[in-house]
Amino acid sequence: MTSKSPARRRVLPPVLAAVLSLPLAACGGNLSSGGAEFPSGPVTMLVGQAPGGSTDLIGRALADGAANDLGVAMPVVNTPGANGALAANELAGAQPDGQHVLVLNASLTSITPLAVAPEEAVDINDFEVITGVSQDDYVLVANTASGLRSVPDLTRAGRDLKFATTGVGTGSQLAQELLFEQAGIAGTAVPFDGGSPAMTAVLGDQVDVAAIQLGEAIGQIEAGRLTPIATFAAQRSRYLPDTPTAVEQGYDVRVSQFRAIVAPKGTPPERVERLRKAFQATFAAERYRKFNEDNLLTPHEVDGAQVAQEWTSSLERYRAMTQQYGIDLGGPK
Amino acid sequence: MDLAPVIEGFGVVLEPANLLHCLLGVVIGMLVGVLPGLGPAATIAILLPLTFNVEPVTAIIMLAGIFYGAQYGGTITSVLLRLPGEASSVVTVFDGHALARQGRAGTALGIAAIGSFVGGTASIVALSVLAPLIAGFALDFGPPEYTALALLGILLVATVSNGGRVKALIAACAGLLLATVGRDAFTGTERFTFDLLPLSDGLDFVPIAMGLFGLGEILHNLEQRQRGATTAARVANAWPSRGDLRQSAGAIGRGSVLGFALGVLPGGGATLSSLAAYAVEKRRSKSPERFGHGAVEGVAAPETANNAAATSSFIPLLTLGIPANATMAMIFGALLVQGVTPGPQLVDEDPELFWGVVNSMYLGNVLLLIMSVPLVGLFVKILRVRPTVLAPITVLITLLGVYTVRNSVFDIALVIVFGVLGYLMKKYGFEPGPLVLAFVLGSLLETSLRRSLLLFGGDPAGFFTRPISGTLLVLLAVVALFPLVQRLVRARSR
Repeated sequence: MTSKSPARRRVLPPVLAAVLSLPLAACGGNLSSGGAEFPSGPVTMLVGQAPGGSTDLIGRALADGAANDLGVAMPVVNTPGANGALAANELAGAQPDGQHVLVLNASLTSITPLAVAPEEAVDINDFEVITGVSQDDYVLVANTASGLRSVPDLTRAGRDLKFATTGVGTGSQLAQELLFEQAGIAGTAVPFDGGSPAMTAVLGDQVDVAAIQLGEAIGQIEAGRLTPIATFAAQRSRYLPDTPTAVEQGYDVRVSQFRAIVAPKGTPPERVERLRKAFQATFAAERYRKFNEDNLLTPHEVDGAQVAQEWTSSLERYRAMTQQYGIDLGGPK
Repeated sequence: MDLAPVIEGFGVVLEPANLLHCLLGVVIGMLVGVLPGLGPAATIAILLPLTFNVEPVTAIIMLAGIFYGAQYGGTITSVLLRLPGEASSVVTVFDGHALARQGRAGTALGIAAIGSFVGGTASIVALSVLAPLIAGFALDFGPPEYTALALLGILLVATVSNGGRVKALIAACAGLLLATVGRDAFTGTERFTFDLLPLSDGLDFVPIAMGLFGLGEILHNLEQRQRGATTAARVANAWPSRGDLRQSAGAIGRGSVLGFALGVLPGGGATLSSLAAYAVEKRRSKSPERFGHGAVEGVAAPETANNAAATSSFIPLLTLGIPANATMAMIFGALLVQGVTPGPQLVDEDPELFWGVVNSMYLGNVLLLIMSVPLVGLFVKILRVRPTVLAPITVLITLLGVYTVRNSVFDIALVIVFGVLGYLMKKYGFEPGPLVLAFVLGSLLETSLRRSLLLFGGDPAGFFTRPISGTLLVLLAVVALFPLVQRLVRARSR
């Protein structure tokens, strides 16, 4: 990964955020300036997505709990851009002192590299992974009125199906391309700008199906306006127990969004460990568990080494599969 | 329509906690609007943890207040400092700032506050009556319809500028070109990014608008003063006269209707509606040449429309469970955290929440109007500050505001680049308005058009197979060709 613009330490925290977080930060911040003590002040949590998305909400829920355990404030700083690559670059250029962490999306390191230029690809092995966080499942949905209820229905449709994706180089696109290729369904990818517009296109009958995150779709599924056709995780989601996975239906499509907390390469191991403890304390809290339930997230709180291994092998697997089926994530079909 | 739940909703609003949070929301919203750059979406993200410990209805009343309160506040910087903080207040700059330069900032702010109040309130009434009916209609707007709307919008851009027609078109073309910067949303190819990662998502509206309008204006004024020209505004009346009100009554009425209709559409409704309202007024006016030089209708129309649109953008969220813009997505998230799933079943399952939130907007609008009146005088005093003091402060607010949007130093550099460009444009008689509006509409046009062609399998005739997009395009052709036909007919009859 080449960092073209060296990320500077922030000297100018957003004034309003600072003012508003004063009441929140008043939970016993012992701001000693001893170099050996950790943490020696607020731990900044970078989020590479805009405020309000699921990554941002996860980051805020974790920062909330970890700040209590560490006894210092943990301000969340959003640096959206390039699917999160901007924030990843910024973290890579930050001091490896444990005072900066990032919420990283697995898709940025295991799917996006297949769609962008090699020098822009982000590698999970360029970071110290503190801990895995959770798994966010994709579900393939169709408009209930269309009568499409299963993968065989799609095969029988006998026309070029339009499938909405949440963008180029996303898990949503990869999952659908793989399924359509393996099932021999003729389809055209129509990229939208995120999950909500993709779902709206299905509801408005502009496209036939879309793969979106479970949390975004569940309301419309429960209201009976969207039919879940398949989920793309290795196992059925406990939030949609009646919907079969693509694997069950005989297609090797395993695409989920995983998230992890990472620190810059070279952060001392004892500090990584201290941060991991803080996040583990959060994982155990009732409030955080309820947050996962509310947002239909499945905890995947494995250690750093396992995260790096899982994400790297996903990248290899996806690379092999896209080559095998002749899928080009960038570029029109 | 069963009125019992509506009346119960008023009961919900009048609970002390809800009254307090409504006030809190609109005050924060107004402040957010005044601070350029920091938008309601980011503010709600920061304040979200504060809402976990209150009732869902109380939380959403406050968050909604932040959203429509910001529409009131956004006007203030547009008028006084020529700094549009939101895309929806770009057009307000044209006449609002001209009025301020003539010493009639109070008139502009007063008219904007009254228009905002009327537009917001009319929109709530319409929302209460029409919400379920309209919800079905919003889903009929897909990529082809947006393509037609964006084309119509770009046609309107030509009519909003005040310079020469040719210069306006050149500026608009530059805006369209700037809209293509960034990673291609369909192929992942980098376009015009010069290997700069911060450009891969394209240029952001905020640095462009604030650079061209804000910094460009300041630089240009400094030069003028070097030559001894004075730009200090005299502050006369701090309230619109009866004549002003009479003049804007029609604009406020039409702006309410337009704003409500366009605000229902997912994505960009408020911006489109403010632009459309301005263009309609200019078209209808018997003296269109006054626009851009301090026409009160030019402030009344867009300000009314963007507030009406802000209110009606709640319709897709509360009746379909579809967030129409970034702020609505935040409110959607806040509801989910509270265990409430917005969707078609919300009105029946949770009438207290639905009508509590809807009715709280009446109160919020009244509070905003009451707050605006004394504050107008206060804000107008800002103009009495010597330019030598005001200019650096404005530059600082601009740079700080831009930085807070994405916490990005790169964006600060962008503002400076566009500030210099804005200065050069002003010096050579180009208006920044068409450029910014074409930029906003350009990305909408490109993505919608390409999405539509994918849906139609590459056949452009597909646009005419859908009733709404077909009608809009025929209308567009008529509007565009009408002057030509007129000229031909006249030439024949001679």
